[in-house]
Amino acid sequence: MSDIQKTIVVTGVGVVSPYGIGLDCLQAGMLSGKCCLAPTKDLYPGFEGTTAQIHELPLLAEGSRSRYSRTDQLAVVAARDAVADFDCESVAFRESGVVMASTVAGLTEIDPGIAPDPAAWYRRGGLSRAASYPVAHVADAVGEHLGIRGPRCAVSVACASGAMAIALAANLLLDGIAPMILAGGSDALCPFTLSGFNSLQALDPSPCRPFDQNRKGLNLGEGSAVLVLETLAGATARNAKVLAVLRGWAMNNDAFHPTAPQEQGNGLAACIRSSMEMADVSLDEIGYVNAHGTGTPLNDIAEANAYETAFRGRSRPIPVSSTKSYFGHCLGAAGALEAAITIAAVRCGALFPTLRLTDPIESRGVDWLRGEVRRQPLPLAMSVSAGFGGSNTALIFGSVRS
Amino acid sequence: MTPNLPGVTISITGIGSVSPYGPLAGLIPQSKLEPSVITAWKADGLRRAFLVKPFRPADVVPGLKTRRLDRLSAWALVASSLAIKDAGIDLSQVDRSRVAVIFATSYGCVELTAAFYQSAADNGWSGTDPSTFPETLANSPASHVALFHDLRGPNITVGSKGFAGESALLQAASLLRHGQADLAIVLAGDTLTRAVYEWYEVADLLSPACYNSEPLPEDGGFVPSEGVAALVLEPAGRRQVGAETRTYANVCAGRWAAGGQPAETIRQMLGGSVLSLTICTSNGAPCATNATTALAREIAGDGASIIPPQAVAAGLVDTGALLHLILALSTRPGSGQALLLGTSLGTSGDSGFATLLLELP
Repeated sequence: MSDIQKTIVVTGVGVVSPYGIGLDCLQAGMLSGKCCLAPTKDLYPGFEGTTAQIHELPLLAEGSRSRYSRTDQLAVVAARDAVADFDCESVAFRESGVVMASTVAGLTEIDPGIAPDPAAWYRRGGLSRAASYPVAHVADAVGEHLGIRGPRCAVSVACASGAMAIALAANLLLDGIAPMILAGGSDALCPFTLSGFNSLQALDPSPCRPFDQNRKGLNLGEGSAVLVLETLAGATARNAKVLAVLRGWAMNNDAFHPTAPQEQGNGLAACIRSSMEMADVSLDEIGYVNAHGTGTPLNDIAEANAYETAFRGRSRPIPVSSTKSYFGHCLGAAGALEAAITIAAVRCGALFPTLRLTDPIESRGVDWLRGEVRRQPLPLAMSVSAGFGGSNTALIFGSVRS
Repeated sequence: MTPNLPGVTISITGIGSVSPYGPLAGLIPQSKLEPSVITAWKADGLRRAFLVKPFRPADVVPGLKTRRLDRLSAWALVASSLAIKDAGIDLSQVDRSRVAVIFATSYGCVELTAAFYQSAADNGWSGTDPSTFPETLANSPASHVALFHDLRGPNITVGSKGFAGESALLQAASLLRHGQADLAIVLAGDTLTRAVYEWYEVADLLSPACYNSEPLPEDGGFVPSEGVAALVLEPAGRRQVGAETRTYANVCAGRWAAGGQPAETIRQMLGGSVLSLTICTSNGAPCATNATTALAREIAGDGASIIPPQAVAAGLVDTGALLHLILALSTRPGSGQALLLGTSLGTSGDSGFATLLLELP
């Protein structure tokens, strides 16, 4: 394979976030420093907390919307945004693949009434709602809505899902399984996950403070991001505009605990190092890390340790921030949304700070970004994701010139 | 997947399964299997399915603790252990940071998901059970496999309508070909719960054989099934010559799409390959005339050797590919080029397909 057949590029980015639809909207919102987290009471009786909700979604095509869960809808809106400028009648587009991540998927459509008597619940109108339960439905919704017929696959690895979907799509492109792949993640807020994280006492009732010594937990959000990936050869052949280059990716597992990260962050550090080896870049070339940064006590310390280890030997501390401080943790969509933010950072040369970070974790090797947006040329940046079950993923994006 | 990394042959060297045939390492001894009567929940009359008979995982894999886990996680642990044992792999001699786990499921941990909903029904959303919640995640089985065996390579859980098993196989082969892992444990499966069974029932998807004790009919619906099948994949030659290895099959190429022209695409993939066997994997009714078998005939010709979908594997609607393959290898090992072929009708009417070209040594 020649270099341009092995180089994976991003030719489309679609986003639906609490800021609205589109990467520009997300970027402008974050540059303004606006926080979308807000007090929430109505998601289930008795819940009081802080979330970031999307209040307006465009109606999807008549006849298909009823089959879509809220997670599906978010995914379809993001995917449509990603391909807004594409020739949707071209063969390459028709044969595209879809790799979508989700953890919630169709759980948004199901309520506890299903538990005592499932058949009665289905007969009361739940059958088509429950049909959207499998995570694969999210990829099908995107593929069917756009009329594309390449391979479709869903990924569900908890909070690393969105990033892993992008990594797997890149592998599939190298295999030549499709001319382009729409890859990303989508998750909607729902009582199931809110209740679950609440029961684990993982939620901060106030807006979260990732990497702060006084952090108390995470906030949940919702959204979706979809990247269009293809080889540089494919993009060049159809004269596509290249937004960024996916320079490296790596996936691994801590094999440490079902929910807790390994405190020293060794697994995550190994994953980061592997992605840099693949990208063939030095420690000093990475200009920014968009961290997983949930705001939970255990995650953030493990992550800080991972950066210390992975970037040891670097000439200056690595700039790191958590953009979950803007609109919460979007679970299966988080890795994809943060990949989109990392691409935005590279494209506009902006290092987004962590909001509300006043007293950072002590870490000599990390330059915690806080306060104002830092403006500087950013040829290479990394997005890091981790999740329950120990899965880690690191993605390295570069500017077109890189 | 195109064979674009010459010199890298991916071999299937180990098999394990927890299926209605029981927990087994290696091939499954031939025996006729009839659906069992469901007793796990009260039903209005007779209900049958292909069920995994209850067993203690620790009796099969000493030291295994599965008390708080979904059965899907427990079966994944057992099936992976049996496959590793069957492959003759001593994990203490392997760099475990280079071992991947790829798990395919349609419904994930539905048993504990239902329990979580039940706790919400009983106590309200504010009173749900914190110990259950993390075990409801679809990737729990794969992460428990990683944790138990200390496997620190990529850990991936996938779903794909009709083709989750095939998708997992292709992605595992991809990781190995690209040098992102040295060894891959591929698993596929689902558990059958009341909520899943009744969904099929209300959707009118079930075979008459679910409601009476007659033998399986030739067509009309399917009998739900459950279980987890596991395969060990590794690049041929990874282990030293002389090491005790058995190759069940080599993965040569694969194609997978949600629509288009399956026959044309598959012929293109085959090039000049002459098929000695086509193994059909399909959700829905196992019968000689279903869509997958018809496509197999179109590709391989009327006189070709075709194994139609097996009822016990076809009942695993998205995840039966691995069990189909194991059953086919168990009944007709043979040699030469074999095609693993599945089809699925999309909601928009497109016929999706997934296929792998295998070489049987």
